Amino acid sequence: MIFLSDFLNAEVVDVRQHRVGRVRDLVVVMTEPFPRVTGVILKGNRKVRSLDWSVVRSWDNKELSLKVDAGSLQPHSRADTELWLARQILDKQIVDMDGRRVVRVNDLQLSQVEGSMLVIGVDIGSRGLARRVGIEGLGRRVTAALGLDWPQKLISWEAVDPVKTDVSSVKLRIAHTKLAKLHPADIADIVNELSPDDRSAVFAALDDEKAADTLEEIDEPQMQASILERLDVERASDILEAMAPDEVADLLADMPRERAQQLLQKMEEDEAGDVEELLAYREDTAGGLMTTEYVAVLHTLTAAEAIERLRELEPDAESVYYVYVTDEEEHLLGVLSLRDLIVAKPETKIRDFMIKNVISVRLDAGPREVAEVTSKYNLLAVPVVDEHNRIHGIVTVDDVMERVMPARAGGRRRRIF
Amino acid sequence: MLLAVVGPGIITGNVDNDATGITGYALAGSQFGYELLWLLIVTAICLVAIQSMVARMGTVTGKGLSDLIRERFGIAPTLWVMIFLFFANAATTVAEFAGVGGAAQLLFGNIARYAAIPVAALLVWFLVLRGSFRVVERVLLLLTLVYLGYIVSAFLAHPKWSDVIHHTVVPTFHLTPPFILIFITIIGTTITPWMAFFQQSNVADKGLHPDDLKYERVDTVAGILMLNVVAFFIIVATGATIYAAHVTVNPSDPSAFSKIALALKPLAGQYAEQLFAIGLLNASLMAASVLPLSTTYAITEAFGLERGIDKSFREAPAFLTIYTATIVIGAGIAMFPGAPLVLITNLPNIINGMLLPLLLPLLILLANDKRIMGRYANSPLFNVFSGVVMVFLTAVTLAFLASIFFPGLFGGR
Repeated sequence: MIFLSDFLNAEVVDVRQHRVGRVRDLVVVMTEPFPRVTGVILKGNRKVRSLDWSVVRSWDNKELSLKVDAGSLQPHSRADTELWLARQILDKQIVDMDGRRVVRVNDLQLSQVEGSMLVIGVDIGSRGLARRVGIEGLGRRVTAALGLDWPQKLISWEAVDPVKTDVSSVKLRIAHTKLAKLHPADIADIVNELSPDDRSAVFAALDDEKAADTLEEIDEPQMQASILERLDVERASDILEAMAPDEVADLLADMPRERAQQLLQKMEEDEAGDVEELLAYREDTAGGLMTTEYVAVLHTLTAAEAIERLRELEPDAESVYYVYVTDEEEHLLGVLSLRDLIVAKPETKIRDFMIKNVISVRLDAGPREVAEVTSKYNLLAVPVVDEHNRIHGIVTVDDVMERVMPARAGGRRRRIF
Repeated sequence: MLLAVVGPGIITGNVDNDATGITGYALAGSQFGYELLWLLIVTAICLVAIQSMVARMGTVTGKGLSDLIRERFGIAPTLWVMIFLFFANAATTVAEFAGVGGAAQLLFGNIARYAAIPVAALLVWFLVLRGSFRVVERVLLLLTLVYLGYIVSAFLAHPKWSDVIHHTVVPTFHLTPPFILIFITIIGTTITPWMAFFQQSNVADKGLHPDDLKYERVDTVAGILMLNVVAFFIIVATGATIYAAHVTVNPSDPSAFSKIALALKPLAGQYAEQLFAIGLLNASLMAASVLPLSTTYAITEAFGLERGIDKSFREAPAFLTIYTATIVIGAGIAMFPGAPLVLITNLPNIINGMLLPLLLPLLILLANDKRIMGRYANSPLFNVFSGVVMVFLTAVTLAFLASIFFPGLFGGR
């Protein structure tokens, strides 16, 4: 990784190895999405005070070599939107959108992309501090000797917004409380870009429902698990209770067994029971894919009674595609759409107008089979039954598609860090 | 208008009359009579230079001193200043809690020390964080009226006023170790780095506008004046009583406090010790609440962490941790049975002495930076003034450090 601090104070030598000066600062122009380095400000040279980045040939270990000789150096071309990194960004206060102080800019991460040097991230961690005072190597050896991990703490440049009028502070584009008003999918996108600490801070600011929805939107099970692990058990189990049982089961499957067990115990009994049932199925079967949130009504009810029952259940939008009809032992007898229920005469028994020939899959069916069934019959969800035709859950079309087509077109932007 | 602005300077000045300050002046008066009075004028001038600079910077930039140091000089100088500041302030906090213990000892007997220190630590922690700091501040400030006792006492002791005036205007200096030690102690306890940090944070927190600068200057000078008037009368009172009666006070003697208390006898008679103890207790408590707070503000500013006494632990974990740790360390060390009192009162001076020459050039550079200060940067005249102060203080502290590490330097002891 390249950092601004690697350049600051570096010796600058020209093509004939003559000393030109030292680096005082790097100049960037504000290009989107990442600022591009355009010039170098020098110190220790009375004649040449700056040079264009285009004449830099290479750099390593505190030395910057130029392509040209010192005599032909021109000052860098100035631009209105230019920013001096060391003077205007480094060490400045970072505040979030609520004006809460977060930390200072300890260092800036640069990256060479197609011949340009771009500022891609802001270092906010202790490693950045150590690097600036020249003891990062020492710290790394010490932490390694102690068997500890010493992670870089970086946030993407996209998440910050240097306020030009007041160069003393750098604003984070994300505010914890304003976040709560966004759609969970958008929050998930932002959370993807944050450091683990920031992620848990964001989750701490959301209510249980929102947190649950956001967690469901995050694609990577490891990330979901790591977010939950950083929350305290009470709070984590509250969020889990608000999530769909199948999502919870997937998530817990990716966690250390002990922690998962702990979370299950803290959850309400009903919810925990559903999840445990799901956890028992292999992940690559319909049983592992399904959710236990579905709507089933007894075949003896009338249309009016069935609608009344739906009102009592208040099902989530996702699970109300179909209303399944069962007997007292949960044998799957038929299926109804909401439309069927509403247009039927209120006093008609539902077994008289339900579709008896229900398409279903077995618990041990593979994802591909489930996908084929749903697409062949154009279903939004397919019920999952055991060998006695008892219903255990449903697999929704998005859950199965996610499984068989992991690389969705237009998927999430890759994270840098 | 003036009243709205006034505060930071007066509070800083009064807090500076802390346990080490009071003891220092009292020792000066009881050992050398009025001979060191002139030094108060020198320290007042130095303080005006430094404190008016930080007050101006706080008003113009709305930022603390640590903020500016980090933003202008980067991480390495900041780190050094913070390390020294933390240890200097922690050591001073120890001295303040030792002052609480000493006062309790005078008031209630020897054992009281071990009850008083933890109670004071809890009280300070709780009142500042969970009570209202502004109210606490006012009450403590009001209690500084106890110092009026020294003024009354000084008059009642009928000092020879011609001598007093003579020594105030004409400097006296002896090249003897005890004199040099007390000379340096007075400078060390009066001119401290934490004052600069504290007043600037306080001014910045108040959100003053550059238009308020003239009031802020009044505030600063008033604070320093109050500080020095009290110091002046402590020296006169002790000089007219203890020194005049040829009582020798040895700072390392456990009964030093009760001897110093004799200075209040003309006013309080047999209750002199009690009155002295109340003053010492108040001074110690005020400083023990302000010093950890100032340390915490400075460090969180330097690293850009969320801060404020009204923040919850979740909002500002670092702030509360550092604040609590400073108090626990301060009170904990002061509790130690048989804690070496001389070292405790001298250690802050040593570390402050090392920090001051490091800090003053940074201060002057900042106050001269047009990009930070705009048209409120130092004038050339002020630069000469502050430059002289800097050279003087640096020389004194270097001499002091030399005397610590090479005890034989000024004639041995």
